[in-house]
Amino acid sequence: MTRYKTLRDFPVEEYLSPGSTMCAGCGAMLVLRAFHKVLGPNVVFVNAAGCLTLLQVYPYTPNKSSWMYTAFASAPAGAQGIRDALDILMEKGRVNSFEDLKVVVVTGDGAAYDIGLQSTSGAIERGLDFYYLVYDNEAYGNTGFQKSGATPYGSATATTPPTERNPTGYTGVKKDLFEIWRSHKPPYIATVAPSHMVDMLRKIETASQFKGPKLFIAFSSCPTGWGFDPSLSVRISRLAVECGIWPLKESVYGKVRHTYIPTVLKPVEEYLRHQNRFRHLFTPRKQETAIASIQEQVNNYWLEAAKNEGFRITVAKPVTIAPP
Amino acid sequence: MREVDMLTGNVAAAWAARIADVDYIPAYPITPQTEIIETLASWISQGLMKAKLVQLESEHSMLTAAGTASLSGARVFTATSSQGLLYGFEMLYNIAGWRAPLVLVNVSRAVAAPITLEPDHNDVLAARDSGFIQLHAEKCQEVLDLILIAYRVAEDHRVMLPVIVNMDGFYLSFTREPVYIPSKTDVEEFLPPYNPPHPFRAGRPVVKGAAVLGGHIYAYFKHNIHESLLRAGDVFKEAAAGFREVTGRFHSPVEGFLLDDAEYVLVVTNSFTSIARKAVVRLREKGVPAGLVKLVMLRPFPSSDIMEKLRGRKAVAVFDQNISPGLGGVIYNEVAAALYHVKNRPETLLSAIGGVGGKYTTVEEFEHVFHMLMHPEKTQPGKPVFLFRADELAHVQTALRLAGYTGEET
Amino acid sequence: MLRIRFHGRGGQGVKTSSRILGRAAFSAGFFAQDFPIYGAERRGAPVTAFTRISHSPIMERGYIFNPHIVVVMDETLLADAQARPLEDLPRGGVALINSARGPIFSEDQAGHVFMRINFTDPALRIIGKPIVSVSAAAAAAKLCGLRKQHVEEAVREELSELGVRDELLEKNLMLMSETYDNTPRYSIKVDEERVGAVELVDPASGRVVYSDVFAAGNAVHRATGNWRVFRPVVDYGKCTGCKVCFIYCPDSAISLDAENKPVIDYEHCKGCLICVVECPIRAISSVREVEIFA
Repeated sequence: MTRYKTLRDFPVEEYLSPGSTMCAGCGAMLVLRAFHKVLGPNVVFVNAAGCLTLLQVYPYTPNKSSWMYTAFASAPAGAQGIRDALDILMEKGRVNSFEDLKVVVVTGDGAAYDIGLQSTSGAIERGLDFYYLVYDNEAYGNTGFQKSGATPYGSATATTPPTERNPTGYTGVKKDLFEIWRSHKPPYIATVAPSHMVDMLRKIETASQFKGPKLFIAFSSCPTGWGFDPSLSVRISRLAVECGIWPLKESVYGKVRHTYIPTVLKPVEEYLRHQNRFRHLFTPRKQETAIASIQEQVNNYWLEAAKNEGFRITVAKPVTIAPP
Repeated sequence: MREVDMLTGNVAAAWAARIADVDYIPAYPITPQTEIIETLASWISQGLMKAKLVQLESEHSMLTAAGTASLSGARVFTATSSQGLLYGFEMLYNIAGWRAPLVLVNVSRAVAAPITLEPDHNDVLAARDSGFIQLHAEKCQEVLDLILIAYRVAEDHRVMLPVIVNMDGFYLSFTREPVYIPSKTDVEEFLPPYNPPHPFRAGRPVVKGAAVLGGHIYAYFKHNIHESLLRAGDVFKEAAAGFREVTGRFHSPVEGFLLDDAEYVLVVTNSFTSIARKAVVRLREKGVPAGLVKLVMLRPFPSSDIMEKLRGRKAVAVFDQNISPGLGGVIYNEVAAALYHVKNRPETLLSAIGGVGGKYTTVEEFEHVFHMLMHPEKTQPGKPVFLFRADELAHVQTALRLAGYTGEET
Repeated sequence: MLRIRFHGRGGQGVKTSSRILGRAAFSAGFFAQDFPIYGAERRGAPVTAFTRISHSPIMERGYIFNPHIVVVMDETLLADAQARPLEDLPRGGVALINSARGPIFSEDQAGHVFMRINFTDPALRIIGKPIVSVSAAAAAAKLCGLRKQHVEEAVREELSELGVRDELLEKNLMLMSETYDNTPRYSIKVDEERVGAVELVDPASGRVVYSDVFAAGNAVHRATGNWRVFRPVVDYGKCTGCKVCFIYCPDSAISLDAENKPVIDYEHCKGCLICVVECPIRAISSVREVEIFA
């Protein structure tokens, strides 16, 4: 069935040339590159403001495909215009079907979770035939790492700095974009992570069978914003999956299935402590309550999922705290 | 279909889109524009028109889809008003910068707050620096004609810029009057198919909207928009000549009315021009050498036509149905700049602001402006005259009282 | 007036350097101005920052076209086609270079004075990271004739603002002190300001010029190999051709040969070293870059 059984099946053809200006070790680039390889060359990416916008700095492009930068809030609407134009022109006989393109929205989490959410909702509800790839690095990375709707509890960002008065950093919760999207019942939604490449390739392949919205949220490790050595980009991604922080799952017409079950969850600490954005949770004194609450959220998520889907999982113990 | 029919400005706009054989109509409702998209939606669903109409979730998205569809090779028509234009505002600059030659009808409506429905031109004039060509209509016929001419100008490879065709809400949008509808064959003769040079197609990769860092490259492209917009003025005249051949109707960027020997001239735009015409006729009957200049084209600003039409006049007033708070009338200032280098420029240049928020401007008010031109010693140079009548002020005072306003804080 | 231009890479503390120098001059009672330029480039890519120091009010802004000192925080930038740190450095101007090799003083044909000070090794030794902002500021401050106490004050203030405290701050102060002392005193003599004529042209082209990019994949012409501090090196004896390094190169800088073995494109490899970490049999090692990238 699938073309992608092991890592050896990773496609060799390159559609992105080297020489881009992204940070060394950029997780989003790992994801974009894999997507492009599976989708092939006949693609037009529709982009909203974010780190990857600067892949295209005049007069250079790494793309061997087409790219349309729209605006921060409306990349899905930009995709709508291109898709509709190609459709009506093919219907009127002014464009040949071999000239057709796959339309792929690619934005960061700021556009996907915040300013462009309305536009995405509209595109899904209208049944637009497109792919949406969110490279989620859990903050506005391009402007210096300010908090976004994707920022998790406990993360330090440029606008949620941990201080004496607020030692936790960001105290809200990461929006569940997967569930927001799923409430629209599109044909396909998936979460992916660069560490689990075969899972990612298969999901893109699966999505391609569907007509309509095909939506992806990609874990995008960010050495610059998260504060870790670029060489650890894939390791951090693996830890996120193994600790249960980043569940790998898909939804087909609203029905959810986890595609990888980390049978014995590693404690979230193992993921958190590698990143400067969570350093304040460990030093100068360890914030047991905050860490425990992160662990508890992860545990609850997986226990619920295990119940719904009937798999076994061993969660990690939250740190126990003696009452004062 | 009748050759001439009673049409509202909105339906005239829809007819123009229909006979221009547009491919794509991204839409979003807003009063007083909604009738345009409803009419088109109904035609498309009846199979009377082969196009795709999609209702987006906001004007911002609507304009984004309009731009990218245009870049993909579709002839695009869309429409909005007021708050909608402002909600999608950043996309206006983008569409112009992308060189997407679509046509956007703006049905003018004053901008909140306070929120209202009636027209003034603060909405459309806010877009004057966006790189759109702007054509403003006085009559329902002009709405239809200007849209057709707009496509030809916009899609000309010497221009490749979008157009806003403006009509006043209510005074045109909901007003029916006889409108000639050209036949489809006439339009085909006048308007060649849209053929952009670099649409998105498989096998022809292209990046559009790339970031440009380094001010000089940005400045170069911005200048190219400016240069192309200026060229659009000449292309418009060519297109208008072609349009006359096919339809017998003529349009020019700047129109004169009873101008030949006029000493006192009023500069106006949009639907209130009709009322101002009547003032001119009444003054002529009394022997006053009054005349009128109507600006159809606001961008590119037709400076040389204005210079030519206003040079040597004794006194000129510019009627602005808009207000730039802290400055005055927008068009007044542009006309003043155009006249600065004219040797025998009018001695008096008066700014009259009226019709703000759709406030009716009577023929007497227009006549009053002419009287001020005849007695400039009674006006303060440079200070705009705000056309506001005593009975209107009395009305406002009643309303203030009813609203419980006492003039005191807290 | 003294004009100092800092050239480094994102993440090296280029902006901080210019700020430390700016504040030190301000503390010493001079008129001062500092600012960075941000471009599209990210961590690792060339970055520029500026400091102006004057006895009288500064009637200049923006990019420094006629520097007295260019501080080259990363030696590999000397050969960088985009950074061009020596550009517009006048005869007599000083290029203060972070370098582990070569004589302290030398001069090139254009009359530029090259001064080589090792910033990186002391930084690695004292703070454990190749962050050279403090060293660069200290050396530049000495060349500008600023006193050590003012530099110390500036380092305290600027680093505290960045959240650097306690032990790390003390280490940075040690590093500052060591670099300041190791920098020789030198009196800069350059030709004063040139007055150039301006030639204005009409940019009108007479036609529509699109800002589209048609040259697919032309980013390959932009070398990013000079972002590297460490270079990944494949041990082909060990390599099994498993493709993992190829899969995990974010920059498409690894291609595969006929046996599926990786070929690293050093002209573009940014040195993220994901390949080193991910190689399942540790057949890729990292080596400190020594050669100037050309």
